[in-house]
Amino acid sequence: MTLDGVEPIAMDFAGAGDGRERGLAMLLLSMADDEFVIGFSDSEWTGIGPILEEDVAISSLAQDELGHAQALYGLFVDVVADGRDADAIAYDRPPEGYLHARLLDHPRGDWAWTIARRWLYETADAARLEALATSSHDPLRQLVDKLRREERYHVMHVDAWLDRLANGGDEPRRRLTEALAAMGRDAGTVLAGLPGETALVRHGIIAEPFAAIEARWRAVTSTRLVGLGLPALPGTADPEHARNRHSEAFRALHAEFTMVRRSEAGATW
Amino acid sequence: MTTPPLEPWEVFRQEKDGSPMTHGGSVMAPDATLALHYAREMYSRRQESVHLWVVRRADIHDLADPDLLQPPLDRSFKKPGGYVMRDKLAAARQISGEAKPRAKAAKAR
Repeated sequence: MTLDGVEPIAMDFAGAGDGRERGLAMLLLSMADDEFVIGFSDSEWTGIGPILEEDVAISSLAQDELGHAQALYGLFVDVVADGRDADAIAYDRPPEGYLHARLLDHPRGDWAWTIARRWLYETADAARLEALATSSHDPLRQLVDKLRREERYHVMHVDAWLDRLANGGDEPRRRLTEALAAMGRDAGTVLAGLPGETALVRHGIIAEPFAAIEARWRAVTSTRLVGLGLPALPGTADPEHARNRHSEAFRALHAEFTMVRRSEAGATW
Repeated sequence: MTTPPLEPWEVFRQEKDGSPMTHGGSVMAPDATLALHYAREMYSRRQESVHLWVVRRADIHDLADPDLLQPPLDRSFKKPGGYVMRDKLAAARQISGEAKPRAKAAKAR
């Protein structure tokens, strides 16, 4: 499988020689970028949350994700070993160089939209982390053990909100339904196949192919959504371009999160 | 179901295993689940607690009447202050001829 647009970045993995390391680098970078982009995007709620308590809660979740991204970028730079540090990976790439899933190209939108996006992402991320819990790459397995303990609360919290929006009267339900309908066809992009995935499965880095992980995630999310009287998720649109060809909304976000870093290239902060 | 109104919940936290639950503060939440989530964010996100309780403030029964809690008449005779154990123990030791036991050494930490 090739993802055009991804390949030139994959070629940059100078230290990542064989199939195992290239696949591992791709996996780590895609996970790190997912966490980084949703973390930064949801941090926009700081100061404008619906109530003070939720403002603190969503900001805390967003910070957790940035912390997870930092740890994953750390593992990535250890594998690639091309002299770049985690900050350089996080901030110094052009927008087309990011490997986050298309689901996260959607902006945070209103509160129902943020909850829908985060619920779709958290449930998919939980399925992915489960498949990495017995990874043969020791640093990843050890990190995943910690990530899962934090992510369990993320799923609990966002699922509590999904329930409240679905059952919270006409307007919350309408907004939630619209958001799920608009993002549903991009939700599966978090679990779309990665180039180098065959090597990852062969070397025991991930327990099973992404197609199998996605099938389990679909079963769980369908049960939950149908239980709330909402439609199950549609199939993934254009899975070949799940992690490239980013949106205008992401380009705007990228311009913002790189702004300070770009203001003085090479500065020591 | 429509969205229930926000109401105050009192948060109690235990700092470490074996410590008493102490009042930490309060959060606003529409229900117990979110009250616990918010209590977790406010009172334990930096590992300050090992156990949390939330109690709907409306469920707390209140008594703060000074006539009931701080009676105005002198009832010091009800207090055991006049009954000094030290003197009675010293008298008993004298009768039995026993020495005063040494103070216990401070517990090693």
